[in-house]
Amino acid sequence: MWWKTLSVLLVLYSLAVGMFVPLKPGIAYVSPETAKSGDTMRLTIHGYNTFYTRSRTEDIRVWLQYDSANAVLGQNLSVLNDTTAEASFYFPSDLPRPSPSVMLNAILDHPSDGVSLLPSAVELVRDTAPSFALAMAGKPASWTENPVTQLHIIKDFSFPYRNVIYESIRNTFYHVPMWFALMFLFAASVVYSVMFLLNKKLDYDRRASSLAEAGLLFGIMGLVTGMLWANYTWGAPWSNDIKQLMTAVLLLIYLAYFILRRSFDEPEKGARLSAVYNIFAFASLIPLLYIVPRMFASLHPGSTGSPAFGSEDLDNTMRLVFYPAILGFTGIGFWLAQLRTRLKRVEDRMIGLD
Amino acid sequence: MLLTLLHKEFLLEFRQRYALSGIVLYVFSMVFVVYVASVKVNAQVWNILFWLIVLFASINAVVKSFVQESGSRQLYYYQLADPSMLLLAKIIYNTLLLLTLSGLSFGAYSLVAGNPVKDMPLFCLTVALGSVGFSIAFTFIASIAAKANNSATLMAILSFPVILPILLTLIRLSQIALRLIQDTSYKRDIVNLLAIDAILLTLTFVLFPFIWKD
Repeated sequence: MWWKTLSVLLVLYSLAVGMFVPLKPGIAYVSPETAKSGDTMRLTIHGYNTFYTRSRTEDIRVWLQYDSANAVLGQNLSVLNDTTAEASFYFPSDLPRPSPSVMLNAILDHPSDGVSLLPSAVELVRDTAPSFALAMAGKPASWTENPVTQLHIIKDFSFPYRNVIYESIRNTFYHVPMWFALMFLFAASVVYSVMFLLNKKLDYDRRASSLAEAGLLFGIMGLVTGMLWANYTWGAPWSNDIKQLMTAVLLLIYLAYFILRRSFDEPEKGARLSAVYNIFAFASLIPLLYIVPRMFASLHPGSTGSPAFGSEDLDNTMRLVFYPAILGFTGIGFWLAQLRTRLKRVEDRMIGLD
Repeated sequence: MLLTLLHKEFLLEFRQRYALSGIVLYVFSMVFVVYVASVKVNAQVWNILFWLIVLFASINAVVKSFVQESGSRQLYYYQLADPSMLLLAKIIYNTLLLLTLSGLSFGAYSLVAGNPVKDMPLFCLTVALGSVGFSIAFTFIASIAAKANNSATLMAILSFPVILPILLTLIRLSQIALRLIQDTSYKRDIVNLLAIDAILLTLTFVLFPFIWKD
Protein backbone atom coordinates (compact mmCIF):
# COMPACT_ATOMS: atom_id res chain seq x y z
CA MET A 1 0.00 0.00 0.00
CA TRP A 2 2.76 2.43 0.96
CA TRP A 3 4.40 2.18 -2.46
CA LYS A 4 1.22 3.24 -4.25
CA THR A 5 0.97 6.41 -2.17
CA LEU A 6 4.69 6.98 -2.67
CA SER A 7 4.50 6.62 -6.45
CA VAL A 8 1.54 8.99 -6.68
CA LEU A 9 3.42 11.51 -4.56
CA LEU A 10 6.56 11.09 -6.67
CA VAL A 11 4.63 11.60 -9.92
CA LEU A 12 2.90 14.69 -8.47
CA TYR A 13 6.30 15.96 -7.29
CA SER A 14 7.86 15.43 -10.72
CA LEU A 15 4.91 17.16 -12.39
CA ALA A 16 5.00 20.14 -10.02
CA VAL A 17 8.76 20.63 -9.89
CA GLY A 18 9.33 19.60 -13.48
CA MET A 19 6.79 22.08 -14.79
CA PHE A 20 7.32 25.07 -12.50
CA VAL A 21 11.04 25.34 -11.80
CA PRO A 22 12.41 27.96 -14.22
CA LEU A 23 15.19 27.47 -16.72
CA LYS A 24 18.57 29.06 -16.15
CA PRO A 25 19.08 32.43 -17.90
CA GLY A 26 20.32 32.03 -21.43
CA ILE A 27 20.94 33.86 -24.69
CA ALA A 28 18.08 33.30 -27.11
CA TYR A 29 19.73 34.91 -30.12
CA VAL A 30 22.03 37.74 -31.12
CA SER A 31 21.93 40.08 -34.06
CA PRO A 32 23.62 40.63 -36.45
CA GLU A 33 24.92 37.10 -36.95
CA THR A 34 27.80 37.79 -39.31
CA ALA A 35 30.73 40.20 -39.26
CA LYS A 36 33.98 40.79 -41.09
CA SER A 37 37.41 40.71 -39.51
CA GLY A 38 38.76 44.15 -38.78
CA ASP A 39 35.24 45.56 -38.48
CA THR A 40 33.42 47.18 -35.61
CA MET A 41 30.06 45.70 -34.76
CA ARG A 42 27.28 46.77 -32.43
CA LEU A 43 25.84 43.45 -31.22
CA THR A 44 22.36 43.14 -29.71
CA ILE A 45 21.96 40.28 -27.26
CA HIS A 46 18.50 38.90 -26.59
CA GLY A 47 18.31 37.01 -23.32
CA TYR A 48 15.86 34.41 -22.10
CA ASN A 49 14.77 34.40 -18.42
CA THR A 50 17.42 37.07 -17.83
CA PHE A 51 17.40 40.11 -15.50
CA TYR A 52 20.05 42.33 -17.03
CA THR A 53 18.85 45.41 -15.09
CA ARG A 54 19.42 43.75 -11.72
CA SER A 55 23.12 44.52 -11.57
CA ARG A 56 25.26 47.47 -12.48
CA THR A 57 25.98 47.75 -16.17
CA GLU A 58 29.76 47.90 -15.62
CA ASP A 59 29.68 44.51 -13.86
CA ILE A 60 28.20 42.76 -16.91
CA ARG A 61 30.78 41.49 -19.37
CA VAL A 62 30.22 39.94 -22.76
CA TRP A 63 32.61 38.09 -25.07
CA LEU A 64 32.63 36.62 -28.50
CA GLN A 65 34.86 33.62 -27.94
CA TYR A 66 36.69 31.33 -30.33
CA ASP A 67 38.40 29.06 -27.80
CA SER A 68 39.78 29.30 -24.28
CA ALA A 69 42.64 31.56 -25.40
CA ASN A 70 41.02 33.62 -28.15
CA ALA A 71 38.13 35.97 -27.44
CA VAL A 72 37.00 39.54 -28.03
CA LEU A 73 35.55 41.53 -25.12
CA GLY A 74 32.55 43.71 -25.77
CA GLN A 75 32.96 47.47 -25.13
CA ASN A 76 30.49 50.23 -24.17
CA LEU A 77 27.90 47.80 -22.88
CA SER A 78 24.43 49.21 -22.45
CA VAL A 79 21.39 47.47 -21.01
CA LEU A 80 18.10 48.35 -22.74
CA ASN A 81 15.83 46.19 -20.61
CA ASP A 82 15.86 42.90 -18.69
CA THR A 83 16.26 40.80 -21.80
CA THR A 84 18.13 43.08 -24.20
CA ALA A 85 21.68 44.36 -24.04
CA GLU A 86 24.05 45.89 -26.58
CA ALA A 87 27.81 45.89 -26.85
CA SER A 88 30.43 46.96 -29.40
CA PHE A 89 33.08 44.60 -30.68
CA TYR A 90 36.33 45.63 -32.38
CA PHE A 91 37.45 42.57 -34.30
CA PRO A 92 41.16 42.08 -35.00
CA SER A 93 42.12 42.17 -38.66
CA ASP A 94 43.13 38.52 -38.56
CA LEU A 95 41.28 35.34 -37.63
CA PRO A 96 42.55 32.99 -34.88
CA ARG A 97 42.70 30.20 -37.45
CA PRO A 98 43.81 30.28 -41.09
CA SER A 99 40.39 29.66 -42.61
CA PRO A 100 37.84 31.76 -44.54
CA SER A 101 35.60 32.13 -41.47
CA VAL A 102 35.22 31.10 -37.83
CA MET A 103 32.19 30.60 -35.61
CA LEU A 104 32.26 32.57 -32.34
CA ASN A 105 30.35 31.70 -29.18
CA ALA A 106 28.60 34.50 -27.34
CA ILE A 107 29.28 34.44 -23.58
CA LEU A 108 27.62 36.82 -21.17
CA ASP A 109 28.68 37.02 -17.54
CA HIS A 110 26.26 38.61 -15.11
CA PRO A 111 26.85 38.84 -11.32
CA SER A 112 23.37 37.69 -10.30
CA ASP A 113 22.19 35.70 -13.35
CA GLY A 114 25.46 33.83 -13.83
CA VAL A 115 27.01 32.85 -17.15
CA SER A 116 24.97 32.32 -20.27
CA LEU A 117 26.30 31.01 -23.53
CA LEU A 118 25.13 30.79 -27.12
CA PRO A 119 27.27 28.40 -29.19
CA SER A 120 28.20 29.52 -32.73
CA ALA A 121 26.39 32.84 -32.33
CA VAL A 122 28.35 34.95 -34.80
CA GLU A 123 30.17 33.97 -37.97
CA LEU A 124 33.27 36.06 -38.50
CA VAL A 125 34.35 36.17 -42.14
CA ARG A 126 37.90 36.99 -43.18
CA ASP A 127 37.98 40.34 -44.92
CA THR A 128 40.16 39.87 -47.96
CA ALA A 129 40.50 43.63 -48.57
CA PRO A 130 40.91 45.15 -45.11
CA SER A 131 39.71 48.71 -44.88
CA PHE A 132 41.87 51.49 -43.52
CA ALA A 133 39.20 52.62 -41.09
CA LEU A 134 40.60 50.50 -38.32
CA ALA A 135 44.13 51.63 -38.84
CA MET A 136 42.92 55.22 -38.75
CA ALA A 137 41.04 54.67 -35.50
CA GLY A 138 44.26 53.33 -34.03
CA LYS A 139 42.74 50.42 -32.15
CA PRO A 140 45.26 47.59 -32.05
CA ALA A 141 42.84 44.79 -31.23
CA SER A 142 44.13 41.29 -30.58
CA TRP A 143 42.53 37.92 -29.91
CA THR A 144 44.43 37.05 -26.75
CA GLU A 145 44.37 40.21 -24.62
CA ASN A 146 40.90 39.62 -23.10
CA PRO A 147 40.38 35.91 -22.48
CA VAL A 148 37.19 34.73 -20.81
CA THR A 149 37.95 34.76 -17.06
CA GLN A 150 36.37 35.27 -13.65
CA LEU A 151 32.94 34.02 -14.54
CA HIS A 152 30.13 34.02 -12.01
CA ILE A 153 28.91 30.45 -11.58
CA ILE A 154 25.53 30.60 -9.85
CA LYS A 155 24.31 27.43 -8.16
CA ASP A 156 20.55 27.55 -7.78
CA PHE A 157 17.58 25.28 -8.34
CA SER A 158 16.87 25.65 -12.04
CA PHE A 159 17.10 23.55 -15.18
CA PRO A 160 19.76 24.11 -17.81
CA TYR A 161 19.03 26.36 -20.73
CA ARG A 162 19.79 24.59 -24.01
CA ASN A 163 19.35 26.02 -27.45
CA VAL A 164 17.03 24.13 -29.81
CA ILE A 165 15.15 22.39 -26.99
CA TYR A 166 14.53 25.38 -24.65
CA GLU A 167 11.55 24.75 -22.32
CA SER A 168 10.92 21.30 -23.80
CA ILE A 169 13.86 20.06 -21.70
CA ARG A 170 11.15 19.35 -19.12
CA ASN A 171 9.94 16.49 -21.30
CA THR A 172 13.01 14.57 -20.09
CA PHE A 173 11.07 13.95 -16.86
CA TYR A 174 8.11 12.39 -18.68
CA HIS A 175 9.36 10.93 -21.96
CA VAL A 176 12.40 9.04 -20.65
CA PRO A 177 10.78 7.55 -17.48
CA MET A 178 8.10 5.99 -19.73
CA TRP A 179 10.81 3.79 -21.27
CA PHE A 180 12.25 2.91 -17.88
CA ALA A 181 8.78 1.98 -16.62
CA LEU A 182 8.17 -0.04 -19.79
CA MET A 183 11.39 -2.02 -19.34
CA PHE A 184 10.62 -2.75 -15.67
CA LEU A 185 7.05 -3.80 -16.49
CA PHE A 186 8.02 -6.04 -19.40
CA ALA A 187 10.82 -7.59 -17.34
CA ALA A 188 8.38 -8.33 -14.49
CA SER A 189 5.93 -9.75 -17.04
CA VAL A 190 8.63 -12.14 -18.30
CA VAL A 191 9.46 -13.18 -14.72
CA TYR A 192 5.80 -14.12 -14.19
CA SER A 193 5.72 -15.96 -17.52
CA VAL A 194 8.72 -18.03 -16.42
CA MET A 195 7.05 -18.70 -13.08
CA PHE A 196 3.91 -19.79 -14.90
CA LEU A 197 5.85 -22.26 -17.06
CA LEU A 198 7.56 -23.72 -14.01
CA ASN A 199 4.48 -23.85 -11.82
CA LYS A 200 1.16 -23.88 -13.70
CA LYS A 201 -0.79 -21.42 -11.58
CA LEU A 202 -3.22 -19.41 -13.70
CA ASP A 203 -2.67 -16.40 -11.45
CA TYR A 204 0.92 -16.01 -12.68
CA ASP A 205 -0.37 -15.84 -16.24
CA ARG A 206 -2.91 -13.15 -15.29
CA ARG A 207 -0.10 -11.13 -13.73
CA ALA A 208 2.17 -11.60 -16.73
CA SER A 209 -0.49 -10.40 -19.15
CA SER A 210 -1.56 -7.46 -16.95
CA LEU A 211 2.06 -6.31 -16.64
CA ALA A 212 2.46 -6.58 -20.41
CA GLU A 213 -0.70 -4.49 -20.87
CA ALA A 214 0.61 -1.81 -18.53
CA GLY A 215 3.95 -1.92 -20.34
CA LEU A 216 2.22 -1.44 -23.67
CA LEU A 217 0.35 1.56 -22.29
CA PHE A 218 3.64 3.12 -21.20
CA GLY A 219 5.10 2.33 -24.61
CA ILE A 220 2.27 4.23 -26.29
CA MET A 221 2.68 7.14 -23.87
CA GLY A 222 6.44 7.15 -24.47
CA LEU A 223 5.85 7.22 -28.21
CA VAL A 224 3.32 10.07 -27.93
CA THR A 225 5.49 12.20 -25.62
CA GLY A 226 8.40 11.50 -27.95
CA MET A 227 6.40 12.58 -30.99
CA LEU A 228 5.35 15.80 -29.26
CA TRP A 229 8.98 16.48 -28.46
CA ALA A 230 10.14 15.53 -31.95
CA ASN A 231 7.56 17.85 -33.48
CA TYR A 232 9.09 20.72 -31.52
CA THR A 233 12.81 19.96 -31.84
CA TRP A 234 13.17 17.93 -35.06
CA GLY A 235 10.34 19.67 -36.90
CA ALA A 236 8.12 16.63 -37.47
CA PRO A 237 6.42 14.11 -35.17
CA TRP A 238 7.77 11.15 -37.15
CA SER A 239 11.13 11.23 -38.88
CA ASN A 240 11.92 7.52 -39.28
CA ASP A 241 14.51 7.70 -36.57
CA ILE A 242 15.79 4.20 -35.83
CA LYS A 243 14.51 4.36 -32.25
CA GLN A 244 11.05 5.37 -33.41
CA LEU A 245 11.04 2.42 -35.78
CA MET A 246 12.26 0.01 -33.09
CA THR A 247 9.53 1.29 -30.76
CA ALA A 248 6.91 0.67 -33.40
CA VAL A 249 8.24 -2.88 -33.76
CA LEU A 250 8.16 -3.32 -29.99
CA LEU A 251 4.50 -2.32 -29.91
CA LEU A 252 3.80 -4.73 -32.79
CA ILE A 253 5.41 -7.60 -30.87
CA TYR A 254 3.25 -7.02 -27.81
CA LEU A 255 0.08 -6.49 -29.86
CA ALA A 256 0.84 -9.86 -31.48
CA TYR A 257 1.21 -11.30 -27.97
CA PHE A 258 -2.31 -10.15 -27.07
CA ILE A 259 -3.74 -11.62 -30.28
CA LEU A 260 -1.94 -14.90 -29.58
CA ARG A 261 -3.47 -15.04 -26.10
CA ARG A 262 -6.95 -14.93 -27.55
CA SER A 263 -6.54 -17.44 -30.35
CA PHE A 264 -6.84 -20.62 -28.31
CA ASP A 265 -9.93 -22.51 -27.20
CA GLU A 266 -8.39 -23.86 -24.01
CA PRO A 267 -7.23 -21.14 -21.60
CA GLU A 268 -4.37 -23.25 -20.20
CA LYS A 269 -2.90 -23.87 -23.65
CA GLY A 270 -3.23 -20.20 -24.56
CA ALA A 271 -1.59 -19.16 -21.32
CA ARG A 272 1.29 -21.59 -21.81
CA LEU A 273 2.02 -20.69 -25.43
CA SER A 274 1.71 -16.96 -24.87
CA ALA A 275 4.06 -17.27 -21.88
CA VAL A 276 6.56 -18.93 -24.20
CA TYR A 277 6.12 -16.18 -26.80
CA ASN A 278 6.45 -13.51 -24.12
CA ILE A 279 9.87 -14.85 -23.09
CA PHE A 280 10.93 -15.23 -26.71
CA ALA A 281 9.75 -11.71 -27.59
CA PHE A 282 11.46 -10.13 -24.58
CA ALA A 283 14.75 -11.78 -25.53
CA SER A 284 14.45 -10.51 -29.08
CA LEU A 285 14.02 -7.00 -27.64
CA ILE A 286 17.68 -7.09 -26.62
CA PRO A 287 18.91 -6.92 -30.22
CA LEU A 288 16.07 -4.51 -30.99
CA LEU A 289 17.00 -2.01 -28.30
CA TYR A 290 20.74 -2.45 -27.83
CA ILE A 291 22.29 -3.86 -31.01
CA VAL A 292 20.33 -2.52 -33.99
CA PRO A 293 20.19 1.17 -32.93
CA ARG A 294 23.99 1.21 -32.78
CA MET A 295 24.21 0.36 -36.47
CA PHE A 296 22.21 3.31 -37.72
CA ALA A 297 22.42 7.06 -37.29
CA SER A 298 19.84 8.50 -34.92
CA LEU A 299 18.55 11.94 -34.05
CA HIS A 300 18.37 10.95 -30.40
CA PRO A 301 21.00 12.32 -28.01
CA GLY A 302 24.02 10.11 -27.47
CA SER A 303 23.28 8.43 -30.78
CA THR A 304 26.85 7.81 -31.88
CA GLY A 305 27.47 4.44 -30.31
CA SER A 306 25.37 4.43 -27.19
CA PRO A 307 21.61 3.98 -27.33
CA ALA A 308 21.08 5.54 -23.91
CA PHE A 309 21.58 9.21 -23.38
CA GLY A 310 24.86 10.33 -21.92
CA SER A 311 25.45 11.49 -18.37
CA GLU A 312 26.31 14.97 -19.64
CA ASP A 313 22.70 15.43 -20.75
CA LEU A 314 21.50 15.60 -17.15
CA ASP A 315 22.64 18.08 -14.56
CA ASN A 316 22.23 17.65 -10.83
CA THR A 317 19.01 19.67 -10.60
CA MET A 318 17.45 17.53 -13.30
CA ARG A 319 18.53 14.36 -11.54
CA LEU A 320 16.51 15.48 -8.51
CA VAL A 321 13.36 15.30 -10.65
CA PHE A 322 14.35 12.63 -13.16
CA TYR A 323 15.02 9.72 -10.77
CA PRO A 324 11.87 10.28 -8.65
CA ALA A 325 9.88 10.45 -11.90
CA ILE A 326 11.23 7.04 -12.96
CA LEU A 327 10.30 5.51 -9.61
CA GLY A 328 6.90 7.19 -9.58
CA PHE A 329 5.84 6.19 -13.10
CA THR A 330 7.13 2.63 -12.60
CA GLY A 331 5.14 2.37 -9.37
CA ILE A 332 1.98 3.63 -11.08
CA GLY A 333 2.54 1.05 -13.82
CA PHE A 334 2.74 -1.78 -11.29
CA TRP A 335 -0.36 -0.48 -9.56
CA LEU A 336 -2.27 -0.45 -12.87
CA ALA A 337 -1.13 -4.01 -13.54
CA GLN A 338 -2.27 -5.09 -10.09
CA LEU A 339 -5.73 -3.62 -10.67
CA ARG A 340 -5.98 -5.38 -14.03
CA THR A 341 -4.94 -8.69 -12.41
CA ARG A 342 -7.68 -8.37 -9.80
CA LEU A 343 -10.26 -7.56 -12.46
CA LYS A 344 -9.23 -10.61 -14.50
CA ARG A 345 -9.32 -12.83 -11.42
CA VAL A 346 -12.90 -11.74 -10.68
CA GLU A 347 -13.90 -12.23 -14.33
CA ASP A 348 -12.39 -15.72 -14.38
CA ARG A 349 -14.21 -16.67 -11.19
CA MET A 350 -17.50 -15.44 -12.65
CA ILE A 351 -17.24 -17.81 -15.60
CA GLY A 352 -16.14 -20.60 -13.29
CA LEU A 353 -12.48 -20.73 -14.27
CA ASP A 354 -9.99 -21.20 -11.43
CA MET B 1 19.03 -40.07 -33.22
CA LEU B 2 19.46 -36.68 -34.83
CA LEU B 3 20.36 -38.30 -38.15
CA THR B 4 17.31 -40.52 -38.02
CA LEU B 5 15.07 -37.53 -37.40
CA LEU B 6 16.78 -35.57 -40.16
CA HIS B 7 16.32 -38.53 -42.46
CA LYS B 8 12.65 -38.59 -41.50
CA GLU B 9 12.29 -34.93 -42.48
CA PHE B 10 13.84 -35.55 -45.89
CA LEU B 11 11.70 -38.62 -46.41
CA LEU B 12 8.59 -36.70 -45.49
CA GLU B 13 9.45 -33.93 -47.91
CA PHE B 14 10.22 -36.45 -50.63
CA ARG B 15 6.87 -38.16 -50.17
CA GLN B 16 5.07 -34.82 -50.34
CA ARG B 17 6.92 -33.56 -53.38
CA TYR B 18 3.96 -31.45 -54.43
CA ALA B 19 4.46 -29.27 -51.30
CA LEU B 20 8.09 -28.60 -52.15
CA SER B 21 7.24 -27.98 -55.80
CA GLY B 22 4.57 -25.60 -54.57
CA ILE B 23 7.15 -23.55 -52.65
CA VAL B 24 9.52 -23.49 -55.62
CA LEU B 25 6.70 -22.35 -57.87
CA TYR B 26 5.80 -19.75 -55.26
CA VAL B 27 9.35 -18.35 -55.48
CA PHE B 28 9.24 -18.22 -59.27
CA SER B 29 5.81 -16.59 -59.32
CA MET B 30 6.90 -14.02 -56.80
CA VAL B 31 10.08 -13.20 -58.70
CA PHE B 32 8.00 -12.83 -61.82
CA VAL B 33 5.41 -10.60 -60.15
CA VAL B 34 8.16 -8.42 -58.69
CA TYR B 35 9.84 -8.25 -62.08
CA VAL B 36 6.64 -7.33 -63.92
CA ALA B 37 5.73 -4.73 -61.27
CA SER B 38 9.15 -3.03 -61.44
CA VAL B 39 11.01 -3.86 -64.62
CA LYS B 40 14.05 -1.66 -64.22
CA VAL B 41 15.34 -1.51 -60.65
CA ASN B 42 18.45 0.10 -59.22
CA ALA B 43 20.72 -1.79 -56.84
CA GLN B 44 19.10 -0.33 -53.72
CA VAL B 45 15.62 -1.50 -54.71
CA TRP B 46 17.02 -4.80 -56.02
CA ASN B 47 18.46 -5.50 -52.58
CA ILE B 48 15.23 -4.78 -50.72
CA LEU B 49 13.05 -6.72 -53.17
CA PHE B 50 15.43 -9.68 -53.03
CA TRP B 51 15.14 -9.87 -49.25
CA LEU B 52 11.38 -9.51 -49.40
CA ILE B 53 11.17 -12.44 -51.82
CA VAL B 54 13.42 -14.53 -49.54
CA LEU B 55 11.42 -13.50 -46.46
CA PHE B 56 8.04 -14.48 -47.87
CA ALA B 57 9.34 -17.66 -49.47
CA SER B 58 10.95 -18.67 -46.16
CA ILE B 59 7.86 -17.99 -44.11
CA ASN B 60 5.75 -20.08 -46.48
CA ALA B 61 8.29 -22.87 -46.55
CA VAL B 62 8.63 -23.10 -42.78
CA VAL B 63 4.99 -22.63 -41.77
CA LYS B 64 4.12 -26.19 -42.80
CA SER B 65 6.84 -27.76 -40.56
CA PHE B 66 4.46 -28.54 -37.76
CA VAL B 67 1.09 -28.77 -39.47
CA GLN B 68 1.90 -31.39 -42.09
CA GLU B 69 1.95 -34.18 -39.50
CA SER B 70 -1.12 -35.26 -37.60
CA GLY B 71 -1.51 -34.89 -33.84
CA SER B 72 -1.33 -38.61 -33.18
CA ARG B 73 1.88 -38.96 -35.13
CA GLN B 74 3.37 -36.07 -33.15
CA LEU B 75 2.41 -37.90 -29.96
CA TYR B 76 4.28 -40.92 -31.32
CA TYR B 77 7.44 -38.83 -31.93
CA TYR B 78 7.11 -37.32 -28.50
CA GLN B 79 7.29 -40.74 -26.91
CA LEU B 80 10.22 -41.81 -29.06
CA ALA B 81 12.45 -38.77 -29.19
CA ASP B 82 13.82 -35.97 -27.09
CA PRO B 83 11.93 -32.76 -28.06
CA SER B 84 15.11 -30.71 -28.42
CA MET B 85 16.51 -33.29 -30.86
CA LEU B 86 13.31 -33.12 -32.84
CA LEU B 87 13.51 -29.35 -32.95
CA LEU B 88 17.19 -29.40 -33.93
CA ALA B 89 16.40 -31.79 -36.78
CA LYS B 90 13.66 -29.44 -37.98
CA ILE B 91 15.90 -26.39 -37.71
CA ILE B 92 18.73 -28.07 -39.65
CA TYR B 93 16.31 -29.32 -42.28
CA ASN B 94 14.68 -25.90 -42.62
CA THR B 95 18.08 -24.21 -42.85
CA LEU B 96 18.99 -26.46 -45.79
CA LEU B 97 15.58 -25.86 -47.36
CA LEU B 98 15.89 -22.08 -46.97
CA LEU B 99 19.44 -22.12 -48.36
CA THR B 100 18.13 -23.90 -51.45
CA LEU B 101 15.21 -21.50 -51.72
CA SER B 102 17.38 -18.38 -51.33
CA GLY B 103 19.75 -19.79 -53.96
CA LEU B 104 16.84 -20.37 -56.29
CA SER B 105 15.41 -16.91 -55.61
CA PHE B 106 18.81 -15.34 -56.25
CA GLY B 107 19.22 -17.29 -59.48
CA ALA B 108 15.76 -16.51 -60.77
CA TYR B 109 15.82 -12.89 -59.68
CA SER B 110 19.24 -12.12 -61.12
CA LEU B 111 18.16 -13.81 -64.35
CA VAL B 112 15.27 -11.38 -64.84
CA ALA B 113 16.44 -8.28 -62.97
CA GLY B 114 20.23 -8.46 -63.38
CA ASN B 115 22.90 -9.17 -60.78
CA PRO B 116 24.36 -6.08 -59.09
CA VAL B 117 26.37 -8.04 -56.48
CA LYS B 118 29.99 -6.88 -56.34
CA ASP B 119 31.30 -8.90 -53.40
CA MET B 120 30.03 -12.41 -54.03
CA PRO B 121 31.63 -14.20 -51.01
CA LEU B 122 30.17 -11.66 -48.59
CA PHE B 123 26.79 -11.88 -50.27
CA CYS B 124 26.78 -15.69 -50.06
CA LEU B 125 27.80 -15.51 -46.40
CA THR B 126 24.95 -13.04 -45.75
CA VAL B 127 22.44 -15.32 -47.46
CA ALA B 128 23.72 -18.32 -45.47
CA LEU B 129 23.53 -16.43 -42.16
CA GLY B 130 20.09 -15.19 -43.13
CA SER B 131 18.88 -18.74 -43.80
CA VAL B 132 20.12 -19.87 -40.38
CA GLY B 133 18.47 -16.94 -38.58
CA PHE B 134 15.18 -17.23 -40.49
CA SER B 135 15.15 -20.98 -39.94
CA ILE B 136 15.61 -20.71 -36.15
CA ALA B 137 13.05 -17.96 -35.64
CA PHE B 138 10.43 -19.25 -38.09
CA THR B 139 10.66 -22.87 -36.94
CA PHE B 140 10.07 -21.80 -33.37
CA ILE B 141 7.20 -19.46 -34.21
CA ALA B 142 5.67 -22.12 -36.48
CA SER B 143 5.62 -24.52 -33.54
CA ILE B 144 3.61 -21.97 -31.54
CA ALA B 145 1.34 -20.97 -34.41
CA ALA B 146 0.58 -24.60 -35.31
CA LYS B 147 -1.22 -25.00 -31.98
CA ALA B 148 -3.57 -22.07 -32.61
CA ASN B 149 -6.71 -21.79 -34.66
CA ASN B 150 -5.65 -19.17 -37.20
CA SER B 151 -2.10 -20.35 -37.71
CA ALA B 152 -1.30 -18.63 -41.02
CA THR B 153 -2.17 -15.13 -39.75
CA LEU B 154 -0.50 -15.77 -36.41
CA MET B 155 2.66 -17.00 -38.12
CA ALA B 156 3.00 -13.67 -39.92
CA ILE B 157 2.16 -11.35 -37.05
CA LEU B 158 4.28 -13.23 -34.52
CA SER B 159 7.35 -13.62 -36.69
CA PHE B 160 7.66 -10.32 -38.57
CA PRO B 161 8.49 -8.14 -35.57
CA VAL B 162 10.81 -10.79 -34.12
CA ILE B 163 12.67 -11.23 -37.40
CA LEU B 164 13.15 -7.50 -37.98
CA PRO B 165 16.55 -7.10 -36.24
CA ILE B 166 17.91 -10.00 -38.31
CA LEU B 167 16.40 -8.62 -41.50
CA LEU B 168 17.80 -5.11 -40.94
CA THR B 169 21.28 -6.52 -40.31
CA LEU B 170 21.01 -8.71 -43.42
CA ILE B 171 19.92 -5.81 -45.62
CA ARG B 172 22.80 -3.75 -44.29
CA LEU B 173 25.34 -6.52 -44.94
CA SER B 174 24.10 -7.11 -48.46
CA GLN B 175 24.17 -3.36 -49.11
CA ILE B 176 27.86 -3.60 -48.30
CA ALA B 177 28.18 -6.60 -50.63
CA LEU B 178 26.48 -4.56 -53.36
CA ARG B 179 28.87 -1.66 -52.62
CA LEU B 180 25.93 0.63 -51.90
CA ILE B 181 27.51 1.75 -48.67
CA GLN B 182 31.14 1.76 -47.63
CA ASP B 183 31.80 0.13 -44.31
CA THR B 184 34.98 -1.62 -43.37
CA SER B 185 33.69 -2.73 -39.97
CA TYR B 186 31.06 -5.09 -41.35
CA LYS B 187 32.63 -7.93 -39.36
CA ARG B 188 30.91 -6.45 -36.31
CA ASP B 189 27.56 -6.81 -38.08
CA ILE B 190 28.32 -10.47 -38.75
CA VAL B 191 29.15 -10.94 -35.08
CA ASN B 192 25.87 -9.18 -34.16
CA LEU B 193 23.98 -11.51 -36.47
CA LEU B 194 25.66 -14.57 -34.94
CA ALA B 195 24.89 -13.23 -31.47
CA ILE B 196 21.19 -12.77 -32.33
CA ASP B 197 21.13 -16.30 -33.79
CA ALA B 198 22.77 -17.68 -30.65
CA ILE B 199 20.24 -15.92 -28.37
CA LEU B 200 17.31 -17.21 -30.42
CA LEU B 201 18.71 -20.75 -30.62
CA THR B 202 19.32 -20.97 -26.87
CA LEU B 203 15.82 -19.70 -26.13
CA THR B 204 14.29 -22.07 -28.62
CA PHE B 205 15.90 -25.02 -26.88
CA VAL B 206 14.86 -23.89 -23.44
CA LEU B 207 11.29 -23.08 -24.42
CA PHE B 208 10.43 -25.77 -26.95
CA PRO B 209 9.63 -28.51 -24.40
CA PHE B 210 6.87 -26.27 -23.01
CA ILE B 211 5.26 -25.88 -26.43
CA TRP B 212 5.62 -29.51 -27.34
CA LYS B 213 3.79 -31.28 -24.55
CA ASP B 214 0.03 -31.03 -24.72
